[in-house]
Amino acid sequence: MTEKVGAVAVLGGGISGMQAALDLAESGLKVYLVDNKPSIGGVMAQLDKTFPTNDCAMCTMAPRLVEIGRHKDIEIITLSDIEKIEGEAGNFKVILNKKPRYLNEEKCTGCGTCITNCPTRNKVQPLEKTKVELEPQYEEKVLEIIKINKDREGPLMAILQQINSAFNYLPENVLKYVSQEVGYPLSHILMIATFYSSFSLVPRGKHVINVCMGTACYVKGSERLMERLSDVLEIKENETTPDMLFTLKSVRCIGCCGLAPAAMIGDNVYGKLSTKDIPGIIEKYKTMG
Amino acid sequence: MLCTGTGCVAGGAFRIKETLENEIQKQGLEKEISVIITGCNGFCGQGPLLVVQPDEIFYGFLNPEDIPFLVQEHFLKGRPVKKLMFTPPEKKEPIPLLSEIPFFKKQMLVVLRNKGIIDPEKIDDYVARDGYTALEKVLISMTPDEVIDEITRSGLRGRGGAGFPTGTKWKICRTEQKTPKYIICNCDEGDPGAYMDRSVFESDPHTVIEGMILGAYAIGVSRGYIYARTEYPLAIKRMDLAISHARDYGLLGENILGTDFSFNLEIREGSGAFVCGEETSLIHSIEGKGPEPRQRPPFPAEFGIWDCPTVINNVETWANVPVIINRGADWFSKIGTETSKGTKIFSLVGKINNTGLIEVPMGITLREVVYDIGGGIPDDKKFKAVQTGGPSGGCIPYSMIDVPIDYESLTNAGSMMGSGGMIVMDEDTCMVDVAKFFIQFTNDESCGKCTTCRDGSDALLEVLTNITNGNGKEGDLEFLEEAGNAIKDASMCGLGTTLPNPVLSTLKYFRDEYEAHIKESMCPALVCKNLIKYYILPEKCTGCRLCLKNCPPGAIKGELKHIHIIDQSKCTKCGTCLDVCPTKVSAIIKVSGKETEKITGIEEPYPVKRREKEIKK
Repeated sequence: MTEKVGAVAVLGGGISGMQAALDLAESGLKVYLVDNKPSIGGVMAQLDKTFPTNDCAMCTMAPRLVEIGRHKDIEIITLSDIEKIEGEAGNFKVILNKKPRYLNEEKCTGCGTCITNCPTRNKVQPLEKTKVELEPQYEEKVLEIIKINKDREGPLMAILQQINSAFNYLPENVLKYVSQEVGYPLSHILMIATFYSSFSLVPRGKHVINVCMGTACYVKGSERLMERLSDVLEIKENETTPDMLFTLKSVRCIGCCGLAPAAMIGDNVYGKLSTKDIPGIIEKYKTMG
Repeated sequence: MLCTGTGCVAGGAFRIKETLENEIQKQGLEKEISVIITGCNGFCGQGPLLVVQPDEIFYGFLNPEDIPFLVQEHFLKGRPVKKLMFTPPEKKEPIPLLSEIPFFKKQMLVVLRNKGIIDPEKIDDYVARDGYTALEKVLISMTPDEVIDEITRSGLRGRGGAGFPTGTKWKICRTEQKTPKYIICNCDEGDPGAYMDRSVFESDPHTVIEGMILGAYAIGVSRGYIYARTEYPLAIKRMDLAISHARDYGLLGENILGTDFSFNLEIREGSGAFVCGEETSLIHSIEGKGPEPRQRPPFPAEFGIWDCPTVINNVETWANVPVIINRGADWFSKIGTETSKGTKIFSLVGKINNTGLIEVPMGITLREVVYDIGGGIPDDKKFKAVQTGGPSGGCIPYSMIDVPIDYESLTNAGSMMGSGGMIVMDEDTCMVDVAKFFIQFTNDESCGKCTTCRDGSDALLEVLTNITNGNGKEGDLEFLEEAGNAIKDASMCGLGTTLPNPVLSTLKYFRDEYEAHIKESMCPALVCKNLIKYYILPEKCTGCRLCLKNCPPGAIKGELKHIHIIDQSKCTKCGTCLDVCPTKVSAIIKVSGKETEKITGIEEPYPVKRREKEIKK
């Protein structure tokens, strides 16, 4: 047996880095485990369960963490960036940039008391509060919508729906205003606004074309309707024509399966469509303006 | 009786109504004949349509231009118009009577008993058909416990798909100590291919309202919500109107019918998220929270909206309640099978002659539905499979067509009852493509809370896309099975646990199709674009230039009276040429796999005449 010489640097202390470090150390090599975070563990430390086995993430990790901490041949270097790697296989030289940590690592037990007592960290940051004002074109409508719905139980959905249908999308400033007046955090409003497919955060055309992609329409060729529409309008799905007349979207079943394949333009349903009908229909809306 | 469901309205039902009224007035018949608009008749494939009562004559595929003739012939001269009647594809003689048409003959109308008979916008019409008598009966002579007993004995199970016994659910909620309690009607019908809930709202909204009032009385509730999809504007409008009528009649609100029972109802709209059909997610949506499902138990019946006990039932379930109270649990439990009682509404769509909404007793076989009611597959194509249960269900192949339709049998077949979409597929439907379609759907609609559902559907989709693109490899099928089962086990809500069903069931019954894609780069149904090619048969092309003029990317070469050629490098496989080529010529074909090698095309367009000469030789 040949004797093992030299040392190995493992870059990144996530679960794979940890396992690699352990395997290498077990086989008799000296290992430097480098991570740019204050501690090893990586993303997996933040997870509850892992796919596909649904195993508890911490149960997989914890034994390895402990073992690495104890292993005589593994040296953990945290809070360090890789500056430079030179050399070739078998003889690398790695230059690390170790970030300052303002404490004596030899003595630190990782109790965390300093963090909780840090005056800078715990200082209350004054919030910059500027009052949101509505643009004139939105003012009347938005005030009315908020007034009608404010006192209902769970008003947010109704408010967003009405704003969306009034302006065809949800203008950013209006959402900020709603957040200020109705008292929901903006992050929450955005979470709702991006969850549902009928809300839009960008302006949409006057006529929103919804091509039904329900099963019945799909087996009857609604994909080809979509392609034809996209050819005729010269836009892709989820885009709006430059003249702001049409927005092309797909929808999950409008419940007109007897008329498959179908599409909705605004509130009007068009059934039993064929790719041949498309140019005529679009022309009709174009002349309408 | 003019149908004004969404389907017929799209076909121009209101224009027909106008012409009809004008024409009747012109003939001076307005005293004898009245035009009544009704909700969805169900036979949507024939729309716009009308039924003349009391003769029961059914007219379909109407045009405003047909109306003057129809009024003159039928109403003035008493001769029903044959050419506007329903004619089954295989027969020549039309069938005049509604009740004789096979589509209607085998149906059993319980929930849809008023469809096409009443004007959904008039509460008096509903009352005239025994509407709200169940409510009266209950308020006068039954205690809440008796109502729950009646529902339990009837064997009614949730029509949303899972089939939880309704009586049991109500009982759990009733015994909860915490107040107030709520009831919700789930009309977030997101399953593609299903539209029975919409149809019930549009044709008979009061039966749902009555069912909910009865439920409220039984459970002890004073507030209710109806959660409906924003994609159904007409349904919401009619329900809104129905609620305000019921309020005017003292059937909703405080002290209903002079008793001390009060109940209020409110509509809430969804905004296009499939997962909101899941009950906990629906609750979060109404509350204005992030509409992600949560872990159950506790079930909503214990811990629901605003943290209070809540009963959520599907539209169809609520609509069954008044009938059960009126006609009794014994009558109801006689319909159907041992475990599945009553009737079920299905939307019969896809590659089938008679598309539309049907209500049939549980236990009927798929064969009866597809061939007797549905009238078989159009153009003499071969029946391949029925997809039930929407994206959560599976495909049932021809070999299992005699399976009875009930909750258990469908689950055993690898599918599920679901909300009742029934999509018929013929030999032109590629099963791998269908599986991909559903996974695309669920992948898109997955809320992203559980890793297995979010990332697992990504993984399935990637493999399926590879297969349909012709890049499938050995081991893909095993991976689909393994990952599918893992997703099933490890997801939280109904969306995730049923998401792999379309893949697993098509893999089970149509494995050969998957294998053809992978091993022979062939799509047997000629659907998957990367695996097919279009060709013009030189011996058939007449050089009419139709395909050339219509080809979007300009991939067809040729001139008048010359045989055309498709430039394969430019062809986007849109299929326009196949559509426009006249049927009597049908010179364009699709080929896939090994078949492509057999085609020997020609190099340059040459005159059609030369071919004729060659043939003569």
